Amino acid sequence: MANVRGCNLPEDVYYLIEKHVWAKPMDGGVIRVGMTSVAGKLSGGKLAAVTVKAKNIGQEVKQGKSVATVESSKFVGPVPAPVTGVLLRANEQLTSNPNIAISDPYGEGWIAEIQANAWDAEKGVLVTGADGVAAYQKKMEAENISCQ
Amino acid sequence: MADDKVMIVMTSGPETPRRCATPFFFASLAAAMEYDVTMFFTIDGTLLLKKGMAETIYPKAGGKPVSAFLNEAIEAGVKMLACTASTELNDIALEDLIPEVKMVGGATMWQLAEDCKTVLTF
Repeated sequence: MANVRGCNLPEDVYYLIEKHVWAKPMDGGVIRVGMTSVAGKLSGGKLAAVTVKAKNIGQEVKQGKSVATVESSKFVGPVPAPVTGVLLRANEQLTSNPNIAISDPYGEGWIAEIQANAWDAEKGVLVTGADGVAAYQKKMEAENISCQ
Repeated sequence: MADDKVMIVMTSGPETPRRCATPFFFASLAAAMEYDVTMFFTIDGTLLLKKGMAETIYPKAGGKPVSAFLNEAIEAGVKMLACTASTELNDIALEDLIPEVKMVGGATMWQLAEDCKTVLTF
């Protein structure tokens, strides 16, 4: 777990840096998706709701399109899909406790799972490992974002 | 995921500041959910689109001005339409309005409403 400007950025997930989301391959081609600690900071630190549109479950979502929405008192915005695939499920814990998406963003606070169509091809636009964290750090420095 | 159309009809204006944040917030939220979102301004709502007006209205004391909510909605891709008749009601010239707004007649509102899955009015 790397700590960059006060933000936790683990090296074992894939980041879509521009959108502040992460993807993590699970078993059977399933990709778990969540928001990064940086997104949590940008959203104001206290979420009112994290919602996956129920009718989208079982439907294909394209890379970059919204899989969920995040609401706080100072922010509303999408959680874009880091990969294309069928939206399998939402993390139901978020319904009663949306803030785990911020307090435990890479663990209990994951947002949705997607059955990826073309992970090997699409992961090329994501970054991971030490290089990925370094690229994320560069963006945070350029935009003067920190979690402190 | 189809881009379903939704519309928010905004009739509230500067005389009721507390009613002027949520409609924009709901519009931004709908855009984040990948809806194709239009806000249609009429009656007092059109006054919010006067240049400089939204900056002076605060839905909550110490909070953000309406302009912040308006700009977030525009950045999220919400389309802004205003009713031509309401500019007459409010004695506003077209050049007094922010450039992001497009003027349309009431018939356009009816056609759009028919195309929309949901229409909310504030």
